[in-house]
Amino acid sequence: MRSSLGAFVLLAALVLPLGAQAHDDSKYPNWEGKWNRDPGPPRYDPSKPPRRGQQPPLTAEYQKIWEASLADQAAGGQGNDTTHRCIPVGMPRQATSGFPIEIVITTKATYILFESSFASPRKIHTDGRDWPKEVEPTFTGYSIGKWLDTDGDGRFDTLEVETRHMKGPRQVDNSGLPLHEDNKTVVKERLSLNKTNPDIINNEVTTIDNAFTRPWTVMKNYRRIQGELAEDNCNENNNHVDIGGQIYYLSADGYLMPAKKGQQPPDLRYFSQAQ
Amino acid sequence: MHYRSLIAATALAGALLAAFTAAADDSKYPNLKGQWNTLSPRGSFDPDKPPGRGTLAPLTEEYKAVYEANVKDQLAGGHGTEPSYMCLPPGMPRAMIAYESMEVVVTPETTYILIDHIHDHRRIHTDGRPWPTEIEPSFRGYSIGKWVDEGNTGRFNVLEVETRGFKGPRAYDTSGLPLHSDNKTVVKERIYQDKADANILYDEITTIDSALTRPWIVTRKYQRDTKQQFPWWREVVCTENNQHVRIGEENYMIGADGLLMPARKGQRPPDLRYFSQGEVTGATK
Repeated sequence: MRSSLGAFVLLAALVLPLGAQAHDDSKYPNWEGKWNRDPGPPRYDPSKPPRRGQQPPLTAEYQKIWEASLADQAAGGQGNDTTHRCIPVGMPRQATSGFPIEIVITTKATYILFESSFASPRKIHTDGRDWPKEVEPTFTGYSIGKWLDTDGDGRFDTLEVETRHMKGPRQVDNSGLPLHEDNKTVVKERLSLNKTNPDIINNEVTTIDNAFTRPWTVMKNYRRIQGELAEDNCNENNNHVDIGGQIYYLSADGYLMPAKKGQQPPDLRYFSQAQ
Repeated sequence: MHYRSLIAATALAGALLAAFTAAADDSKYPNLKGQWNTLSPRGSFDPDKPPGRGTLAPLTEEYKAVYEANVKDQLAGGHGTEPSYMCLPPGMPRAMIAYESMEVVVTPETTYILIDHIHDHRRIHTDGRPWPTEIEPSFRGYSIGKWVDEGNTGRFNVLEVETRGFKGPRAYDTSGLPLHSDNKTVVKERIYQDKADANILYDEITTIDSALTRPWIVTRKYQRDTKQQFPWWREVVCTENNQHVRIGEENYMIGADGLLMPARKGQRPPDLRYFSQGEVTGATK
């Protein structure tokens, strides 16, 4: 019996040190594949209608800014929405919009990769690091996460994430629903597989921002879908042209067009000859 | 009895082994963690040659003419066959110039090469899949890789990659050195660490393209940043400060004062036929 125990110890000694250093998939949930949020119009809170139906908890100052954005969009403009420039939407919008994602889990970081160039990849540090003293602001922000085993079954099931250090301009959705220009937004997320459907990830997203009167919490669902992330480049087919803050359209035949009724053409003072 | 116990113990250890091999076994793969920065010049796809004409790329006569027309256009203030001024992704093989820091994330099924430049992240499938019958063309292409243990060291040390399924326009570097418009490029790579210094990474890139008279092989070199405990990853957004505007087939510039400017001498202003006023503001009539 002692010999057999010895044999086991020897074999285990040969096996375990190799495994102990490895990233152990069996400790993490299976989030492989391609995911996309529930179908429906773009919005932060999927439980409410888009645009005004979102009833965001905006301060009076930022409610006014949003009203101006809605009015400009109704007149053919872009309002506060910056996607016509093909710049990233940043957080929290990249976590709540309809961009297909892939989630890559490693021990030290979880990566969220996006099909669309509207969103830079997210790197969620799960190596136990503290917040750095200085962070260069980005649209995507700096994310620190922690894996939890909430049901004590020996396997992580929930990823808690906090994201800070964003830059702007950012909006919550395509209505131009604004975030505060001080960019002190904090986004907290709790991602976990739906308990009854392993092809759904629930993400409870809480946005804390000085444009809001209170933290705004919503539940987003990502559904596992067929296929792999494609390559979606905003710049390839962007028909918006921004000249000095005025947004114009490009027609199908390649000419500059007004985006709003009565819009003035661009100032051509730097051209030596008129058409 | 003793023999049976030994068998049972062996079986248990075997089960443990199976459990661990099901996981991503880091010990089988090279340690490519961290931040890699190019040691090769960014201006020239072939790091051993000067950019532009000095590269001596083995272009066909037809594509030599395409390249020369591009040089002429660039000298006149245009962009020739260099597409990235409008923030289009460089695609392959140019992405491996690594204009920005590179991260290599290895999992058994996929190796991801993340370069936050212009959406030029790569996914290299290492799960043994065959080539799909149909590929949606992309700038970065579709990559299938295979980990190889050269020298039977017991550990993978070379990632062999083949990439197909491209779209264009693509150029090798800022000189506008063109790839063929048929987009039938095939890129083969061997990615490996220096045997004497694990903080040096090589990518031997072989490009097979209808614009070339023969496969073109270059080797680019990267260095791991060992100084920062937690390296900083920049978010690079080409469109954020891009002063180039394309209207129809013409490229213009946006001046510091936000006004439209010609990009080349004598360039005509854009056709404003869709503006009801027909009024051209500011231009010298």
